[in-house]
Amino acid sequence: MSFRHLLRAEWTKLRSVNRWLLALAAAAVFTVAFSVLAASGGSTDRQPDVAVGPDGKPVADDFHFVHRALTGDGSIVVRVTDQQNSHPQAMAGVMIKNGVTRGASYASIAVTPAGSVRMMADFRDVEKHAGTAPRWLRLTRTGAHVATYDSTDGSTWREIGAVGLSALPATAEIGMYVSSPGEIRLERSAGSTSVGAESTTGRATFADVRIDGSAASSWTSDDLIQPGRAEKDGPPVGGTAGGAGTFTLTGTGDIGVNEPPDDTVQIGLFGTLAGLLVLVPLGVVFVTSEYRRGMIGTTFAAAPARVPVLAAKAVVMAGVTFTIGLAAALAAFFVTQPILRDHGFTPPMFPTPSLAEPRVLRAVIGAAVFLTLLTLLGLGAGAVMRRGAPAIATVITLTLVPMFVGSVVPAAAARTLMLITPAGGFAMQRAKPATDWLVEPWSMIGPWAGLAVLGTYAVVALTAGGWLMRRRDV
Amino acid sequence: MNVVRAEWTKARTLSSTLWLLAGLVALTVGVGALAAGTLHVRDCAEPANCGEDFAKLSLSGLWLSQVVAAVLGVLALGNEYGTRMITVTVAAVPGRLRVLAGKAGVVLALVAIPAVPGVVAAFALARRIFAHSGFALPDAVTGASLRAAGGTVLYLGLIALLALGVTAVVRDTAGSLSVVLLLLYATPALTLVVSDPTWHERLQKYSPLTAGMAIQATTNLDAQPIGPWRGLGILAAWTAAGLIAGAVSFVVRDA
Repeated sequence: MSFRHLLRAEWTKLRSVNRWLLALAAAAVFTVAFSVLAASGGSTDRQPDVAVGPDGKPVADDFHFVHRALTGDGSIVVRVTDQQNSHPQAMAGVMIKNGVTRGASYASIAVTPAGSVRMMADFRDVEKHAGTAPRWLRLTRTGAHVATYDSTDGSTWREIGAVGLSALPATAEIGMYVSSPGEIRLERSAGSTSVGAESTTGRATFADVRIDGSAASSWTSDDLIQPGRAEKDGPPVGGTAGGAGTFTLTGTGDIGVNEPPDDTVQIGLFGTLAGLLVLVPLGVVFVTSEYRRGMIGTTFAAAPARVPVLAAKAVVMAGVTFTIGLAAALAAFFVTQPILRDHGFTPPMFPTPSLAEPRVLRAVIGAAVFLTLLTLLGLGAGAVMRRGAPAIATVITLTLVPMFVGSVVPAAAARTLMLITPAGGFAMQRAKPATDWLVEPWSMIGPWAGLAVLGTYAVVALTAGGWLMRRRDV
Repeated sequence: MNVVRAEWTKARTLSSTLWLLAGLVALTVGVGALAAGTLHVRDCAEPANCGEDFAKLSLSGLWLSQVVAAVLGVLALGNEYGTRMITVTVAAVPGRLRVLAGKAGVVLALVAIPAVPGVVAAFALARRIFAHSGFALPDAVTGASLRAAGGTVLYLGLIALLALGVTAVVRDTAGSLSVVLLLLYATPALTLVVSDPTWHERLQKYSPLTAGMAIQATTNLDAQPIGPWRGLGILAAWTAAGLIAGAVSFVVRDA
């Protein structure tokens, strides 16, 4: 039989069993219904009064700033003589900013203990080069144009980067700043998980401070800090000491895009968990039922080459589950997003996701691929074991139990668990980057890592199944 | 009595039964030992007990062994539907409730009898591992640890019976197993993404797995979502519902 005929034979087997068609429909319904359930239980306590950057995205904008008003063109030059290693990404540098409102437009250049000279503008990195304190830093404003330089001796300068900032008014604040992000503290132990941040305090000394241009004569010192944070973490720690060209600043907080790790797309696709509980058994029995009814003898008599038979089964099953999975994922996405908005997942902290964004589209397709690969893993396990119950129990246990175990064991163990079990495949449904901040363990690995893990399982199971089918009698 | 003997013979002569029972014991002991091995006194803030529940950790093999119990419960009846043996069974014993009761008794014994040495071995092995990791252990036999150990055996039995009841309704091995696994795993999985505290607590209180496994807690009981015996009671209610639905379906419908 040609492969095309094999495909048609397997397709006919699949569509002529009423129970299986019912299972396919149930998988889609369960996926959507369970997603709705997950979305309806959602709630968020992420700060509603978060700072909003010039592009409307939520940002962190917490640091200590010593500044003077500069009208028109001008520049600032400083020598960062030393910087405390409070956090690898702590910053000590110079900045020009549209006032001292959090989220306002700015451009900056700073050194970090991690060993980089980093230029930022409007909460995004512009350029990064290697270098640490002690180091000279210079920032020049010409109209809407801001350029930054660094130097090791104060005479030969290297340009780091340049940007145009249209939102910068004629009079802007120019000066020095120190920031230091919080340290993630994640405690997982048997039975409980808590995630929190411990604030760190950066300290740096600036010497030979010089401002050129028509600047105000006196320095002002400000702590930019999230409302409510001061009470939670104790009094603001920022401060300035010195004068006459030398300053020591202490500051806490971080500057940059501040998207919460909570992924509304993923919550809205969580129903695949219920879908897989139907599709995995279907993948298994698509093979094992032939063994139980002796049908496999007929199949092999008609098509003596056994590996193509398994391949045809896999192709038919993959096509059907991917189609069903994609339809269910799309439906789940569109149904759950309004529900999640009603439960407090609102802009600007949670911008409304759109299928036009590549990462959202990737997550929705990822959900369908996730279901497809798990079904194929079930099909392969069925071919290996030839018995339905143990194959179903093995695949589902391998997929679900690591989820629970991973949410209570220490973080490193949880990450390893996600990288060696099919449970890692859940990461394919995330639209946001990997994070250590969430309880669900699969958020610790990225979507491609999840695809690699689950894909490997499916390929190994199918290969082993094909090999055993060839070796065994029936 | 003949019914029980007949069911016992059927179960005994299936080659899969022995393998499953061996797996049940091996998973209970092995996973417990692995979990115990992840804990070392040098990682603890308070060396006395590390804030850990030693008994619960020793018995964490239940996460996997319960799947074996579910498979046993499903196969006890599902196999008969698969091979149509069921028609012979109900022809020989027309009182269908007696058939189901006989199966329930045999399944319960099959799971509970190897579970007892399994739980004892898991406890003993984990204690040696804890001692090796530098912990000074409290008494092995306390009211709470006996409750956790005995409760683990009861839990396994209740899961097997729940699986039997579901199979009497669904009448298909693969289908029944997916329904049981859905009941066990889907609701606790939801708690990972459901952040609303009220719903979170409800899910943990009333889903068969999280409620039932509360029986393993021996320390810090106030922080648990539900008390140990009440939790096992919730699981027992699920099992009773499953068995009643199964019995009704088994009696009313044609085989």
